[in-house]
Amino acid sequence: MLGEFEYVLITTAAGLGENAYGVAIRDEIEASIQRTCSMGALYTTIDRLEAKGLLKTWVGDATPQRGGRGKRMVRVTPHGVRAAKQFYDSVLRISRGASWVETRMGGTS
Amino acid sequence: MNASAWPLLELSTKLLDPEEREVVLGDLLETHATAWRGLLDIFSLVMHRRAGLWRDPRPWVAGFVVALPSSYLLMGASSSVTCTYQRLMHHRVFVEHSPTGHEGFLLLLCHVLLLIAWSWAAGYTVGSVSRRTLWASVVLAAVPSLNFLCAPVSGLCLLLFLPPAMLGVWRGWQGSRISFRAASVFALTVTVLMISAWTNDALWIANWALLCPAWYLVARARRSRPNGGDGFWPMRHARAQ
Repeated sequence: MLGEFEYVLITTAAGLGENAYGVAIRDEIEASIQRTCSMGALYTTIDRLEAKGLLKTWVGDATPQRGGRGKRMVRVTPHGVRAAKQFYDSVLRISRGASWVETRMGGTS
Repeated sequence: MNASAWPLLELSTKLLDPEEREVVLGDLLETHATAWRGLLDIFSLVMHRRAGLWRDPRPWVAGFVVALPSSYLLMGASSSVTCTYQRLMHHRVFVEHSPTGHEGFLLLLCHVLLLIAWSWAAGYTVGSVSRRTLWASVVLAAVPSLNFLCAPVSGLCLLLFLPPAMLGVWRGWQGSRISFRAASVFALTVTVLMISAWTNDALWIANWALLCPAWYLVARARRSRPNGGDGFWPMRHARAQ
């Protein structure tokens, strides 16, 4: 089963689609979870997920704004999509009956 | 980003692999990160990478199972060879610093050969088992020298094992291959020399542990044997193909 940060990373990369690469993923994660994401945590998690076959990465084209250096592009594999869905389903299942879920449901209904 | 800090960031990324270095420098340029944030990012990545290496058992084996005990035993063996040499050549006697204190020239020669073989094999094993944490293995190998500060022989004599060990580390670190037959002959020769020294009461029991790296070479050569071929001399084998 995925870890919390692994799930966040896969979901963010899947949301960015063709534009998923190191900096973009980090900016998106920092904006959505309101926490600083270090480059060390980001790239080692990407490596780990790639080793598990959940992500595929490659060095993309160089761009002038990066001083002619390439980006580390990321794509979520079908196996990664399944793992993320499994994590999401588990969180939903395990959250059923939790007090904060009921409160929220009550508030919105 | 402050242009004056850029060389410092570039220098810090030397701790990363070349491909990753380029990506990270590109990321830093793109995000216009401050020098401080850039340095933190680089060091966090370096620390994650270095820590990640220690999740594997190999650095632990290379450092704590091979480098540390081998270095301790090899310092003892160097001391023993020096004491025996001094006794035979200069009639100086060092009580309790030689297995028996009665070895002749033949056993001294046997000890010298064993010291070279043990050191080279242990060095090769340390260099080949975990290349990226070699620095840690070297630090651990230096630890036993503290125990020999009060030895009756000079510090240099304790380090007789260093030249062959360093050569072994270098070869192992380079990933040099040894043919199965050469490794087997080497390990068998070391074993025979050790049995010979043991039967003459000229070996400590702990020295038998130094046989393990020699047989590790055999196991490693057997595992990497290409299609079962086992030329004695690697060059000749390559030429024949």
